Amino acid sequence: MKRIALILLTALVISGCTENGPSGPNVDDFDREAILNNWADNIIIPSFSNLAESSSTLQTDAEFFVENPTPQTLQELRNSWKTTYLEFQKVSMFQIGKAMEVRYRDNMNIYPTDTTEIKENVQTGDYNLTLPSLNNSQGFPALDFLLNGLGDNDTEILTYYTTNTNADGYRAYLTDLTSRIDSLTNEVLADWTSGYRDEFVSNSGNGANSSLDMMVNDYIFYYEKHLRAGKIGIPAGVFSGSTLKGHVEAYYSDPFSKELFITALNATQDFFNGKHFDSSDSGESLHSYLNYLKTMREGMDLTVAINNQFNAARDEAEVLDASLARQVESDNSKMLATYDKLQINVVYLKVDMLQALNINVDYTDADGD
Amino acid sequence: MKISKLLVLALTVIFMISCDSNEGTEIDVPSSYEFTRNGETTVSFTGQTTRIQMATELVGAITDFDNSTEELLLQMYRNQDANGGDVDPYSSADLNAATKNVKSKVAASTDYFSSNTTISAEIKDQFETWLINQVQDVYPNENTAAAQGKPGQIADGSSTRYVNGKGFEYNQLVAKSLIGSLMADQILNNYLSVSVLDAGTNREDNTSTTLAEDSNYTNMEHKWDEAYGYLYGNADDLANPLPTVGDADRFLNNYLGSVEEDEDFSGISQETFDAFKLGRAAIVAGEYDVRDEQAQIIRENLSTVIAVRAVYYLQSGKNALDQSTPDYGAAFHDLSEAYGFIFSLQFTRVPNSGSPYLTKTDVDGFLSQLEDGNGLWDVTPETLDNITNDIAAQFDFTIEEAAN
Repeated sequence: MKRIALILLTALVISGCTENGPSGPNVDDFDREAILNNWADNIIIPSFSNLAESSSTLQTDAEFFVENPTPQTLQELRNSWKTTYLEFQKVSMFQIGKAMEVRYRDNMNIYPTDTTEIKENVQTGDYNLTLPSLNNSQGFPALDFLLNGLGDNDTEILTYYTTNTNADGYRAYLTDLTSRIDSLTNEVLADWTSGYRDEFVSNSGNGANSSLDMMVNDYIFYYEKHLRAGKIGIPAGVFSGSTLKGHVEAYYSDPFSKELFITALNATQDFFNGKHFDSSDSGESLHSYLNYLKTMREGMDLTVAINNQFNAARDEAEVLDASLARQVESDNSKMLATYDKLQINVVYLKVDMLQALNINVDYTDADGD
Repeated sequence: MKISKLLVLALTVIFMISCDSNEGTEIDVPSSYEFTRNGETTVSFTGQTTRIQMATELVGAITDFDNSTEELLLQMYRNQDANGGDVDPYSSADLNAATKNVKSKVAASTDYFSSNTTISAEIKDQFETWLINQVQDVYPNENTAAAQGKPGQIADGSSTRYVNGKGFEYNQLVAKSLIGSLMADQILNNYLSVSVLDAGTNREDNTSTTLAEDSNYTNMEHKWDEAYGYLYGNADDLANPLPTVGDADRFLNNYLGSVEEDEDFSGISQETFDAFKLGRAAIVAGEYDVRDEQAQIIRENLSTVIAVRAVYYLQSGKNALDQSTPDYGAAFHDLSEAYGFIFSLQFTRVPNSGSPYLTKTDVDGFLSQLEDGNGLWDVTPETLDNITNDIAAQFDFTIEEAAN
């Protein structure tokens, strides 16, 4: 009996040893601060600065529109809404620091928007946009409804701001929304430029509360929940079984949802590669970190596999209708094909990359109750 | 030395188990929970299904700010008005027609409460206090932001939660506490108990197949089915509830499903169902020892489900708080669920004993640590870890196994 126990023990000890073989470069030898520097100075802060300029124009255009509601000013306001919405796609993944504290993304972009609540708010004039229960009646999706969804054509839409009995309410609500987008954006930007940048960059250790771990988690969470699921998977019915065209982003607008998606996809790929905002230069990044570690996947550099997969998703999306709602209706299989390509990168990023970088996932799927 | 002793022990246990099945009459165990006599089913647990559905409507109504009132919530809990008169508080006509209610079965098991009516009444009334507080304190603050000492709403991801001044969600307190005080207590400490199964002449009647009045079942068969009903009574397929375990309700069935999904506990759902099935078949065969062995398996498994979820929510709540920007909304939601599961621990049952894994005194101690001061606004990660440790220490799983 003792002998059996001994053999068992020996087997255990032997199997316990095999994990500790010699390995490649150590994760801790890489200069993580250089990545954080590049992210903060060349990507995050420039992206927010740029967005803040757009949101300021959006605010000005909205104020001008409510004073002079004409087909032309409506079109101008829509254009600045589109520009700002596209710029927002480049910062949505940075839900860290002040953005996390004020729940920036939830205030900007929950869709489908609650049109009943919007009308109720306009009706009563009694609303507090800082309440979480009003997240789904503000931000870009609510503006989408106000600018594109109130009527079947421009003439009809304009009546809400001119002859409607609640015209004052609609005008006020519109500018309250644009003003909140602008002020929250500036609040997040100001925090980055007045201290948080240094805190972020110097917190360059490893562990759950280090900047790199937190940012990478936010990045993958965004990729998984908001890019893959929100923009493609949910409208394509991946989670519900039947398609939900009303759940596409910018549902009320002229075809715009695909452009929003592609912009977001490019932004996530650029972030992975450390590509500077609005430039062809790039700096230290997850890409260079993984290459330093010589991380492989099935005989291929992991970084190549990940970039190939980003490209494959974009290629697949090329054929999609400019309106993803129309695409869902006409041929949902193309949406599903895009989703499948996006899904493969969830595995590369969340499993292979996190394992190589020794980062733990800090979020779980909510159990829905 | 120690290991060889363990091996001997293990072998002995294996030997004993293998001996067991060789004795006694043969037990005919069906593949699903279907039992018949003279071509008619002998299984009945409609009262349990009704109570699960009443509890479901009640929990939903707690956050229905536009339509619920204090009176309505209390009626849904009691299924009668303040004077004991008949009421129709439910949206389902069948439930309105039913004479059953939730309240009378809360903390009402024979083993734990038949001679402990003061505590029983206290626990029953606790739910009413929560319902009343929800309407009086939280409803008026539906559209204000929650803060320390101030009820209101708070964001949890893209969901909005409604909490009291200490950060607790009353709907979670009610729902998760019912899992122990209604479902687990009735199953583990009432219908699976020898005191109930063998009450009166039940055993002689069962052995001689003397049926209950106007029924096709013996009293003992029916008691066992009623235990089954509190777990599976709202399943789509009542005889084959395994494939949809977790989806039948938002109570014990739901969390048996959650724990089954954690690979550290996979198999617990099948094992529990098999024990219900074998125990029922053993009653038909008059094999009362086998019946009681199955009851012990169910007691251990369902008690474990409650404890695993308590630990799980304590740890996820802790993780949400323990970061540079604490996520209060997520933490409050998790810890409100944890509160209910901890509350439920006092109704668990250690196999082959007359006691819960954690006593009411233990539970009250944990809960007062959560409620202390500003409640969840200032509870520390250390406190949450301490409670976690104290709970896990009474069970055969590790914190890591439960928390992942």
